[in-house]
Amino acid sequence: MTAIQTDGLTKRFGEDVLAVDSLDLTVEDGEVFGFLGPNGAGKSTTINVILGFLKPTAGSVRVLERDVTRDSLGIRQRIGLLPEGYEPYANLTGREHVESAIHAKNADDDPDVLLDRVGLEPDARDRAASEYSTGMAKRMSLAVALVGEPELIILDEPSTGLDPEGVSLLREIIREETERGASVFFCSHILEEVEKVCDRVGILNQGELVALDTIDNLRTEIQAGATVSATLDAVPDALNIERVDGVRDATVDDRTVAVECVEPAAKMRVLRHLDDRATVEDVGIEEASLEALFSEYTNEDADDAVDDGDTEPAIRAAAADGGESA
Amino acid sequence: MSFTTVLRDDFKNTRRSHVVLGVIAALTGFVSLITYSDAEFHADAFRALFDVAFFFFLVFPLILVPLTYLAVAGDRERGSIKHALGLPNTRAEYVLGKYASRTAVAIAAVFVSVLAAFLIGIGMYETTIAVERFVVFAAISSLFVASMTAIFVAISTLASKRSRAMFGVIGAFFLLGPFWFGILPVVSLQSVVTNIADFLGLELSQTTFNYVRFGSPATAYLAGLQPVFDGALDPEQYPRLTETYRSTSDELYAEAWYNYAIMTAWGALALGASYVRFRVAELG
Repeated sequence: MTAIQTDGLTKRFGEDVLAVDSLDLTVEDGEVFGFLGPNGAGKSTTINVILGFLKPTAGSVRVLERDVTRDSLGIRQRIGLLPEGYEPYANLTGREHVESAIHAKNADDDPDVLLDRVGLEPDARDRAASEYSTGMAKRMSLAVALVGEPELIILDEPSTGLDPEGVSLLREIIREETERGASVFFCSHILEEVEKVCDRVGILNQGELVALDTIDNLRTEIQAGATVSATLDAVPDALNIERVDGVRDATVDDRTVAVECVEPAAKMRVLRHLDDRATVEDVGIEEASLEALFSEYTNEDADDAVDDGDTEPAIRAAAADGGESA
Repeated sequence: MSFTTVLRDDFKNTRRSHVVLGVIAALTGFVSLITYSDAEFHADAFRALFDVAFFFFLVFPLILVPLTYLAVAGDRERGSIKHALGLPNTRAEYVLGKYASRTAVAIAAVFVSVLAAFLIGIGMYETTIAVERFVVFAAISSLFVASMTAIFVAISTLASKRSRAMFGVIGAFFLLGPFWFGILPVVSLQSVVTNIADFLGLELSQTTFNYVRFGSPATAYLAGLQPVFDGALDPEQYPRLTETYRSTSDELYAEAWYNYAIMTAWGALALGASYVRFRVAELG
């Protein structure tokens, strides 16, 4: 069974705005799928169509094998939603928001158990949601999303406003839910979070899906690779590290050699090569950041570059500085 | 199950806001003042209901505005609608739940204010107070506020922005109340209908015009209060009251049930029409 399947999903607003263009996407059952894209890429529009808030202009969307335009209610009975950019009901407490979901879904969850899971403190549960910080509201919304053991959980920017402990808890909850068998659709612009929790990612840009794969495969595809930095006792004259398979470039600064690798296996080959020729005193490996990938796929110039293989300068810079330049 | 989810959530959320307290306090305060002041001029407490009725007709809809105009438009603008409609609640259940919640508050305000009038009547009026007249008055007034609340919530359902909802609700109040009744002689339904008839070269009978005139829920409310004053019409003691409710017409608009039907139809049609639009509305 597929959790989400879109076939040629297109959504227009008026004549001029094409928000989503022929989106073909499949989220498998039990998968944690990361949905990425810059602001205005069409992510929210896609989620709103999945939820039945918007009608597709063309194409179809099936969620849990049901058509969203015909059985939105049945779908919403089986999914959990953490929406983005909304205000909770100001005068309802956190507990009452969760009770509302339990009541609507005719579920038998204990609100306190769910609120314990998301880490909303007991003394905050009976306070009005208008008094909540962004992080507290996000925890409350996550508890609402978990009501009724949903088969699919849609998380729209779930990390925004959460403190590091909350982000860690979110990852733990996602892991628990997938172990239970749920699928997770994780929409975020915090790329580091997506990288840590998602099996596959789809990158949306200007309404089009520009990448769809595992993060490792995307790295390999655009040869983002990693940078191996090694500090040697002395740099030999004939190091010839560029000749090692999978090495794209290398630079030497005093006793430190920085080697850019385009494939994972090259890292070990580089270390062996160095170890054979000098004493390695220290080693560091820096993976190309997801930001670099993201930039490659969502930057218009880089889009062209992906197609013709001319991606190296941008990736090189990003890999060298941990993505700061991306 | 879902209708009650929306109703319960909205009622709790509304009840805890200052708006509810404001609506009930404002209405009770004005009605108490009217009843208290009337004691100086009239011996029977039910006579105060005649003045309270006009206050309900003219001012109560304005008091309902803050209670109703954001019922759905506010949720849409704040995004709170994603909570309710992200759950397995249908759009019909959502609109009806919102309406039922806001109407319950409005009707509670009617009963509290009429109870206040009743208690003041016991203490300040000379004659024995007629409980049944107050009960009937409260019931008919409740139908009126239920109708107006439906219209206002319907406008809120159609509006995606709070400013549009506000203008729509205020406009509906003016159109259905002061304009329809003809409080301003020039800017009134009568002048518009007369001018159109003149333009078309038609002669409008008084009966036809009365059907139009009593076709608003606000004017139907005033006409439908006749049972409150049954058996109490005395042209010497209460000339204005008698002139208003002593009807010699056999037309439907002179029948209480017809006026109740008008109020009900307005509320049902407004909510129904708004739902037809809301059912397919884009909420993203």
